[in-house]
Amino acid sequence: MPDTYGNNTMMTTRPANNFIGSRAMPELVYNAPETMQDLMDLISTHGPFAKIVAGCTDFIPSIRTGRWRFDPGLNLIDISKIKALNRIENKEDILKIGAGVTLTQILTSPVVRASCPVLTQAVEQMASLQVRNTATMGGNLCMASPAADTAPPLLVSDAWVLIQDAQGSTSVPVVDFFTGPGQSILTPGQVLTHICIPKIKAKESAGFRKIGTRTAVIISIVSAAVKIRMDGDLCETARIAFGSVAPTPVRVAAAEQFLAGKPLEKRVIEKCAGMAADEISPITDLRASAVYRKDVAETLVKRCIMDCLEALT
Amino acid sequence: MKIPLTFVLNHQKTTFEIDPWQTLLEVLRNQGRKTSVHRSCEEGECGACTVLLNNKPVNSCLVLAASVQGASVMTSEGLVKNGRPHPLMKAFTDELGIQCGFCTPGMLMNAYALIQDAGDTVLTDAVIRKALEGNLCRCTGYINIVKSVMVAQKSKLAGEWW
Amino acid sequence: MKKREERLILGKGQYADDLEFNNMAHLVFVGSPHAHAKIVSIDITRALALPGVVTVVTGKEVAAHTRHLPVQANFTSKGWTWRLAEIYAISSDKVRWYGEPVAAVVAETEEIARQAAELVSVRYDLLPLAGDLRTALNPGAPKVYEDWEDNKQVHLVFDFGDPDKAFAMADQVLSVTNREGRVTGLPIEPRGCVGVYDTKNDTLEMWGSFQTPFLARHNISATLGIPEAKVKINAVDIGGAFGLKIHAWKENVVALASKLTGRPVKWMEPHRDFVTTGPHQRDVFWDGKIAFKNDGTLLGLKATVFHDLGVESTNKGIAALSIFPACSSPTNMYKWVGMHVEGIGTVTNKSFYCAYRGYGKDKGIKFIEGAINQVAKQLNMTPEAIRMKNFIQPHEFPYHQINNYVLDSGDYPAVLNKAMEMADLDGFRKHKKELADQGRYLGIGLVTAIEPAGVAVPNCQMGGITEARVLITPDGSVEVHSDRTEIGQGTEISHATIVADILGMDPAHIHVKRVTSDFIGQGPLSSRGAVYPASAVAKAARLLREKVVKCAAWLLKISQDQVVLEKGFIYPADAPEKKISYAQFAEKVFFFPGPRGLDPEMLKAHDHLLDVTTTWYSPTTPESGSSYTSFCVSADIAAVEVDIDTGVTQIIKYVHVHDAGTIINSQVVDGQIHGGIIQGIGEALYEGLNYDESGLLQNTSFSNYLIPTSVEAPDIEIAHLETPSPFSETGSKGMGEAPIIGSKAVILDAIEDALTPFGIRVNDSPATPEKVRSWIRQATGQGR
Repeated sequence: MPDTYGNNTMMTTRPANNFIGSRAMPELVYNAPETMQDLMDLISTHGPFAKIVAGCTDFIPSIRTGRWRFDPGLNLIDISKIKALNRIENKEDILKIGAGVTLTQILTSPVVRASCPVLTQAVEQMASLQVRNTATMGGNLCMASPAADTAPPLLVSDAWVLIQDAQGSTSVPVVDFFTGPGQSILTPGQVLTHICIPKIKAKESAGFRKIGTRTAVIISIVSAAVKIRMDGDLCETARIAFGSVAPTPVRVAAAEQFLAGKPLEKRVIEKCAGMAADEISPITDLRASAVYRKDVAETLVKRCIMDCLEALT
Repeated sequence: MKIPLTFVLNHQKTTFEIDPWQTLLEVLRNQGRKTSVHRSCEEGECGACTVLLNNKPVNSCLVLAASVQGASVMTSEGLVKNGRPHPLMKAFTDELGIQCGFCTPGMLMNAYALIQDAGDTVLTDAVIRKALEGNLCRCTGYINIVKSVMVAQKSKLAGEWW
Repeated sequence: MKKREERLILGKGQYADDLEFNNMAHLVFVGSPHAHAKIVSIDITRALALPGVVTVVTGKEVAAHTRHLPVQANFTSKGWTWRLAEIYAISSDKVRWYGEPVAAVVAETEEIARQAAELVSVRYDLLPLAGDLRTALNPGAPKVYEDWEDNKQVHLVFDFGDPDKAFAMADQVLSVTNREGRVTGLPIEPRGCVGVYDTKNDTLEMWGSFQTPFLARHNISATLGIPEAKVKINAVDIGGAFGLKIHAWKENVVALASKLTGRPVKWMEPHRDFVTTGPHQRDVFWDGKIAFKNDGTLLGLKATVFHDLGVESTNKGIAALSIFPACSSPTNMYKWVGMHVEGIGTVTNKSFYCAYRGYGKDKGIKFIEGAINQVAKQLNMTPEAIRMKNFIQPHEFPYHQINNYVLDSGDYPAVLNKAMEMADLDGFRKHKKELADQGRYLGIGLVTAIEPAGVAVPNCQMGGITEARVLITPDGSVEVHSDRTEIGQGTEISHATIVADILGMDPAHIHVKRVTSDFIGQGPLSSRGAVYPASAVAKAARLLREKVVKCAAWLLKISQDQVVLEKGFIYPADAPEKKISYAQFAEKVFFFPGPRGLDPEMLKAHDHLLDVTTTWYSPTTPESGSSYTSFCVSADIAAVEVDIDTGVTQIIKYVHVHDAGTIINSQVVDGQIHGGIIQGIGEALYEGLNYDESGLLQNTSFSNYLIPTSVEAPDIEIAHLETPSPFSETGSKGMGEAPIIGSKAVILDAIEDALTPFGIRVNDSPATPEKVRSWIRQATGQGR
């Protein structure tokens, strides 16, 4: 069962038997802590009988569709009022983004645009203005959707997340965070508090592209992000990541390694893109077939690398 | 168990007794009688229930009412002054940026925020279209809506605005 | 003038979801999670036990208290296959499609009803599936209706002109196929209503999103077994309809629930219900041959169109009826020798099929336009040249088409020429060549169409009936009544303009009333608004004007030809200073009409009663057998660019030239064009309802049934020609559906043009990025 922020044993897994166009919200107790301390107290009080949310842009649809079901009496913990989690902190080498930072905050932040432009690019193509105004970075990651558009940029940026529990805070690379569709390493009692992103440096460049059946407000059929670091005319290191091609957002190691030490000429880029597509085994679902996903993944990687090169010149 | 909820609704401090599971959409429609806030998909896809929450457009179907404690919420009723249509509303009427009228109130709120935030920058066709991407309309093909927003911004730049 | 628009914009709309009644209960439907299954048992005890639940209605109650849904179109007498199933609003023995209602929960609040809906426990025995047209037509296929011989519901056969002669004359014959995916109209507002059964008087009154209250009353009365005279249906503000809110079906259950509980019952359909259990359209496959001469002269067509109708329409025969226009419409605007067209409709385990903008007349035109473009290619002609060669010419109207349509008026070459000029067709073709050299793929589509509008067919509820009433009240304001509901298509603006012009009044004083079942007529469907109701309103206003003139002449003591009606005043032509207002006039006529006021002869002749009710019927349909009265004309030219590596299509330019006869209000007409074109683009590129192998609908929300947003919608350049229709009162033609026809066809044609280097025939919609890319991969032999 998918989870927003861990802690969901109140969620029952009985299958939806009846077709009901829109389902009732569960009876719940609404908690809106304003400090981390209050949050951790609430978590320790309610333990696993609580559900943590921020923007609610996935929580409510999940209930309406019957994807998530909760027993009455659910303790909802809304972390959006915790100021410490609503900030984008511009540290020396990293951006420290609170889990409650909205997608609009990301999109309109000059700091993010300067230090992690690939994230800005991705967020620009996500959801609608209304949803971006409430949906949060933390929520997008914790939903652990394979199609989460913030994930590929974070993967290529070597970002990590901070996870808080009663024992303290630990940091986990984003690449290790997702464990399956709707599943992450978060366990009951844990909260994702921050996302830390190394800033882009000189000679580095990153790009994001996605494809959907429609242009706007669309869940990706495939999304791709690429980050390269150049050393003269050669690519020193590369990161390539995809969304919607595997149970989790993924990086493609062989294709990344292939680029290292090579000049980014057409032939190399094409080979790399082909390798990247070979490394993934997407599925066929409602949005697209596996064949199309592989096919278009190759094109997206190619174009992302070209975007990177263009940005560098 | 009902809880009291106090927030600024259309410039007026308002208190309702709500159920904690209620969405802002339900509270605005049922307790607040703001029936311009239209309900359709209830999943944040159509934009018909768009209202301004602290001056930002949000889908009120995706906001828990309990979370707007102390906030400011504006519906399209809040644009009306002494029974007079807001210049933005007038633009939508004049340019016929309305057909069935169901998406209109949400569209108005999004457009209002867009024009407010734009300041003196003249809004282009592309910028308006991008901003309105979350407000689905099945009748107008959006063309007269975009035109309405442009005309409305002209009114604002000419000082006819509130 | 825009009273309604101003009211709605001020937030004063009264949509179905805004309805409130004292002591109102709320109804929620429980749907089947399976596509085809026997209902073994339904246990409602847990649902009933939930505090706040009033009752649960199942198929058992529906069968006990209502009748089968009434037949709305029946052509068995013609000797064709035309099967009808006996179905109830809620089935009690088996479910035939995903989402089909099995129960309805009524509770104190909608929230409680939704909770209780989860608690209704149904046991099903799964049945094998007739999930698509091919499977359903297989010998021995699982039957959707056990008592039918097979799943074929309809088989219509038409011979127009002399098809054999056409093929005998031909130099060449080309095979053409076309597939259109399943779509839905999807207004943003779903269906909804409140039923109020008055147990003291045994009357039923309903308010809601009824596109055609008069038809709804007939069908709800028949289903519930209440005399029509005891039922009233009121249309409230409607959040878009496009045909999907014509007929009542679930509304019957709402009415029954009110009758059983004695309380007002409200039902507001969740949007997912609207997609899953709402009317679907298209889903056709055409297989045909077109005959022509080497000089480009079109001769004939032999074709079969297969329809995947889903389950028997809850509108009983109305889905099947749409096969008529599908078969008739390929004649479009050209001269032909003959056509043989067969229409087959098959029931499958999908949601039902019904009206949506186009309703079949779109299908034949889209098919033939694609076919003609193939012929042009075959003959190395341009798409414009082959059309110019075959157009019916301006001097030939009224033109008796081989399919019995009486084409009213138009200048087809002028419409196309205007579009070509606006699109700078030659310039664009040059630009296309230049970009081809850079490895970019531009394409130009060109399509011309007429829209058969204002339907009148015998043997069904679409008989062409309409009623209008225009009256002057004693204070001099005017009421206009008709069967034409306002669904966003400009009824109020149009009717107010027509009446104001005729009576010489300010449109602000014309009050276009809400439509109720008190007014007879089919309502706005088949683009008949500007034909039937508008004509009836114009006719009533003219008759009323005669009365006004007669009374005014007497009161002003002048001859009738000296009476001037202008700007709300009535005065003698030679003495404008003697003017009286309509208010003064009306008060006098109504309250002081006695011997000292008006001529007693006038009183006897009822000329003093400033109230006219009338009807209007098309001058062409009865004698000619033409099912339609007016035929508006359009030409669409679109330019697209296809990204061949991703399959994404982008629209670069869109030109639409339109001749809908006399234009009553150009803003309204343009609005219809914009909306229709964008819907057509949606169908061409994105929209598709897909059922999985278990028969479950996969696209049930706006997030996966993709309609165009403001970002995908292109700007559209429009020009109008105005060739009045000789057959309508105002010279106007129906035009609401034309834009969706040309736009879908032209986008697909433009994609095909862009893909010319690959030799790809684009005859399968929607042309999603994935599909386009798969065609290219196939054509280039790529594959991993």
